[in-house]
Amino acid sequence: MPWEAAELAEESWLEISLVVDGEQAEAIAEVLSRHAPGGVVIESTAVAANDDDSEGHPVGPLRVYAFLPVDDTLEEKRRAIEEGLYYLGRILPMPAPQFRNVQQQDWSQAWKQHYRPVAIGKRLIIVPSWLESPQPERIAVRIDPGMAFGTGTHPTTQLCLELLETCYSGKTSGSEVIDVGCGSGILAVAALKLGAPRALGVDIDDEAIRVARENAALNQVGERFEIALGSLQEIKSGAFGLHQAPVVLANILAPVIIRLLDDGLAELVAPGGALILSGILAEQKEGVIAALENAGCRLEETRQMGDWVALKASRLAVNPV
Amino acid sequence: MAKKLKTVVRLQITAGKANPAPPIGPALAGHGINLMAFCKEYNARTSNRMGEIIPAEISIFTDGSFTFVLKTPPASVLLKKAAGVDKGSANAPREKVGKVTRAQVREIAELKMKDLNAIDIEGAMRQIEGTARNMGLQIVD
Repeated sequence: MPWEAAELAEESWLEISLVVDGEQAEAIAEVLSRHAPGGVVIESTAVAANDDDSEGHPVGPLRVYAFLPVDDTLEEKRRAIEEGLYYLGRILPMPAPQFRNVQQQDWSQAWKQHYRPVAIGKRLIIVPSWLESPQPERIAVRIDPGMAFGTGTHPTTQLCLELLETCYSGKTSGSEVIDVGCGSGILAVAALKLGAPRALGVDIDDEAIRVARENAALNQVGERFEIALGSLQEIKSGAFGLHQAPVVLANILAPVIIRLLDDGLAELVAPGGALILSGILAEQKEGVIAALENAGCRLEETRQMGDWVALKASRLAVNPV
Repeated sequence: MAKKLKTVVRLQITAGKANPAPPIGPALAGHGINLMAFCKEYNARTSNRMGEIIPAEISIFTDGSFTFVLKTPPASVLLKKAAGVDKGSANAPREKVGKVTRAQVREIAELKMKDLNAIDIEGAMRQIEGTARNMGLQIVD
């Protein structure tokens, strides 16, 4: 028995949790924090979105929880917490705490289980850096989920990659590419792997520049990928190696895309070249198409995934007068 | 890029000491967010306030990305400091462990105003007073 107890002590935790109103959460967290060494978690139980706030915001009750190591002091701590909660309950009525055993694991690695390779279009596959590609015949784009950016599997990215792929076949496979608002750099990295000889990615966020450089290195395309802080105006002014390309990408948000189109985004596209726009909600599509046409482009293809739409347009050889 | 919020997790943890052990590991790994990236960033941002409880409010999005902001210390921590006590009462209705003045409550309410869902300072003070009473602290004038 003694060795079992010792093993347990290292290998498991008791989770104590209560689902309560926002007002009670902090008082309960205080009781738990007296005995839980690492700290306390207060987590939202639901998220709602509305028209003004498409990202969403937390609503409803909160789950307050903490972890006690399973060792000789467990029973004493558990009793002290239950007592503290009992007295608190006499001031603020609250539900009884729930207990659950949690096995020790390597949490620094466990989060990776949420990520799988994702095949996109006909030729691409996005693969987290710690995994082998299950489909070696596809072109692998390596990406690690970081803080500010996801894994490149968001519908807006997937749609953009599908349309991008259509720009790289046969005689167009040597097209240079400009990515406005490059974020993690995944789109330009994919273009480089599909055959683009050179790419320019700009973003107005320092963190994006740092992550894009990491991803370029991870995919061994760093030498052909210029990544810089800036936006449309800096590209147009000739601040970077490319100021025009046969393929131009912008995966941002509809209002920003419309503003960029009004400011001359289409001028970055070489005449006859392609402009790929993503990050557009289905109901915003018409506004973006109108701005495209105003900018001298013709809509070639529309793709949709869930609520999201991506557009591929060509820049007409001669600008409308 | 457009994101959808999945959940908001508030961690009340110690500045400069984030690591993958509970509660941070199980709280974040289950949402598939890059745990080490969070710990590194939190520790970097709080390294000048070592040992203080500095909550981090993490917005987790459906694509596995996240952002976080640091919050003011929990009211209970500020109240304990104001009352000069180490911990709250185990039996709040009966056993009082200390006192805080209304002026101290107002000071804490003002500091925490932006993190409390209060319309005005009086509302914020009521929340702080509530926490104080729950901890066995008396409010005196």
